[in-house]
Amino acid sequence: MSFTVFIQILIGGLLQGGIYALAAFGLSISFGVLNVLNVAHGEFLMLGAITSYGLFKFLGFHPLLTVLGVFPLFLLVGFLFERLLLRPIRANSPHEFLIASILVTLGASLMIEDVTFFLLEQSFISIPFSLPSLKLGGVVLPSIRLIILGAIVCLTLLVHLYLRRSFTGKAIRAMTQDKEGAMVVGVPVPRVAMITFGIGTALAAAAGAFYVILFAVTPSIGIPLTVRYLSIVILGGLGSLVGSLIGGILLGLTEALTNFYLGSHWAPASAFFLLVLILVLRPQGLFGYK
Amino acid sequence: MLKRKFSVHRSVSIGMGMLLVVLLLGSSESPALAKDAVLIGGTISETGAFNTDVGPFRKLMEAWAEMINERGGLPVEGKKLPVKFILYDDKSDRDTVLKFYEKLATEDNVDLLLGPYSSFLTLAASAVAEKHQIPFVAVEANSPKIYERGYKWIVGVLAPATIWSDHYFNLIQAEGKAKSIAFISEDIVHAREVYEGAIKKAGEIGLQVVFKEVAPSKTVDFSSPIAKMKELDPDIVYISSFHPFAVAFMKQAKELDLNPREFHAIHHGAGFINALGRDAEYIVGESYWVPGIQKGDAKFFEELLKRSGIDAGEWPWAAIRMGAFDAVKAGIEKSGTLEPAKLMEALKTLSTETITGTLRFDEKGVGTMNTIPTQIQNGKYVLIWPKAEGMPAGEHWYPTPTWSERK
Repeated sequence: MSFTVFIQILIGGLLQGGIYALAAFGLSISFGVLNVLNVAHGEFLMLGAITSYGLFKFLGFHPLLTVLGVFPLFLLVGFLFERLLLRPIRANSPHEFLIASILVTLGASLMIEDVTFFLLEQSFISIPFSLPSLKLGGVVLPSIRLIILGAIVCLTLLVHLYLRRSFTGKAIRAMTQDKEGAMVVGVPVPRVAMITFGIGTALAAAAGAFYVILFAVTPSIGIPLTVRYLSIVILGGLGSLVGSLIGGILLGLTEALTNFYLGSHWAPASAFFLLVLILVLRPQGLFGYK
Repeated sequence: MLKRKFSVHRSVSIGMGMLLVVLLLGSSESPALAKDAVLIGGTISETGAFNTDVGPFRKLMEAWAEMINERGGLPVEGKKLPVKFILYDDKSDRDTVLKFYEKLATEDNVDLLLGPYSSFLTLAASAVAEKHQIPFVAVEANSPKIYERGYKWIVGVLAPATIWSDHYFNLIQAEGKAKSIAFISEDIVHAREVYEGAIKKAGEIGLQVVFKEVAPSKTVDFSSPIAKMKELDPDIVYISSFHPFAVAFMKQAKELDLNPREFHAIHHGAGFINALGRDAEYIVGESYWVPGIQKGDAKFFEELLKRSGIDAGEWPWAAIRMGAFDAVKAGIEKSGTLEPAKLMEALKTLSTETITGTLRFDEKGVGTMNTIPTQIQNGKYVLIWPKAEGMPAGEHWYPTPTWSERK
């Protein structure tokens, strides 16, 4: 294998990992902060993809700008989801709440998938949009993925700044560290929980807006994607945005290199081995807290 | 009070006695009810993963029944009977298929069964038909495995998946331009069978197979196989898969500037052009029929498509359904009866003209409907081979311009 091809594979893995990271952020926030294992996370990505496709096809949005419509819409969807489905079960003990949240979100996931299959006239969609790629020597840099990665980085920075600088962001971080302590100092936990879940949902949907440009989206992609993002979140450490980014990139690189050297059937197994290795060496994940 | 109790008791006894008499009389053999319709049962994947291939076909089937009934129906026992479909949504799910085919066989008492979409679901449905000895016509299913079970109650209209691209490779051989080929396949039954057959045929016509790989169904990152293909520079890149896999591959092929002389995607209908837009141009794939083919009752088929609002380019498997309808019609006309054994025998020995040519079945029940290569040109599916009577073959655009050359 030539050096050029090796670099090409590395770049491919890096870009793919960046795309994984965006949806993983949302799951990391909701799992790390709220102790909600949102099995429907992948469904929100799927719905975000479909919404983005609708904005492009029926309202003429530019494919790269549909995220501007998708993000606020799914912020609201996340608010409603938390308020109507998760808050009623919050009174249980943390362990019971975790189990209940899995069941509730799993039920929601299956319902969303079935309803989407029923309503969607075609069972896969994709936005036909592409850009000329850049060439550096023999290495091809897919400009569309670079742009999407740039958008992901910007979105992540915005969320990071929000978490760092705003009152709600500080409240979210306080809840991550000590929920009871946060309540004692006057943090409005139910409202902050709703906002946190909304942000997580909006990030998943925003990932969907980019996903539908790069791949074909079907109503059944939800649960497999949720499992993948959960691996990234655990790998990177619960509640850590940086951890999710690094975890996503590591996963993308591992899959790309395994694919190249051993064949595509080994790529999913390699992701599993990576996860086990990191957890053995560092059980809290790369950037998680003990 | 005692008198009232006795009176009630007597009334109940008389009532029960009358009921018993009615039941006994009812259960005795009554004259057989005359058949008033030909009942054809089946399931359609109106929801689930396969709806992208056959979702609206209930309309197609009901329109066909309507058109046949307008023409008087089908001849059974010396008179013409209307056709009626009993259809259920199988949700693209095997267990649901089993449930509904059992229902069709045991409760709905159909005369004939049409198969569901895909070899995977057909394997299940045909087992039910075999158990209940009901004639079964497999439709969109071409896995050789279906016919290796020694079943007596099945025929299937399609030729085996392993010869899916034979006409395409005949074209490539006739032109003599392409010398090498790279293959990538989705790891799913149908795609693998097509892939294996295509590799064999490519070798037979002298193409050098420079790359071959089978990738998991959910693969989204094709950077590795594409990087390898770029180094090998094949004339043809052959993608054996369903649509989501092929769309993801093509998008990344453009991103990474993979430029073979031709891309071939075995399934390039039903949303493929919508998903890729102008990047779908030049891609060759397989269809069963295009407008302008003058075989069988083409006018009837065109009327059927119009009535059901189905576009043959968008829903290419409508032509397979028409082949199955032709087989059912010809089989009933030949047997003149719905007696299962005679109907099955008539089906097995059929030779009938369909919109894709002559349909007949071999000793295992395997049919002869096979695909023809079509190329996406200016957003339309153009037949490129064979050049024969009744086949409006157009020009094969080869080689495909590189991505940077395309406007």
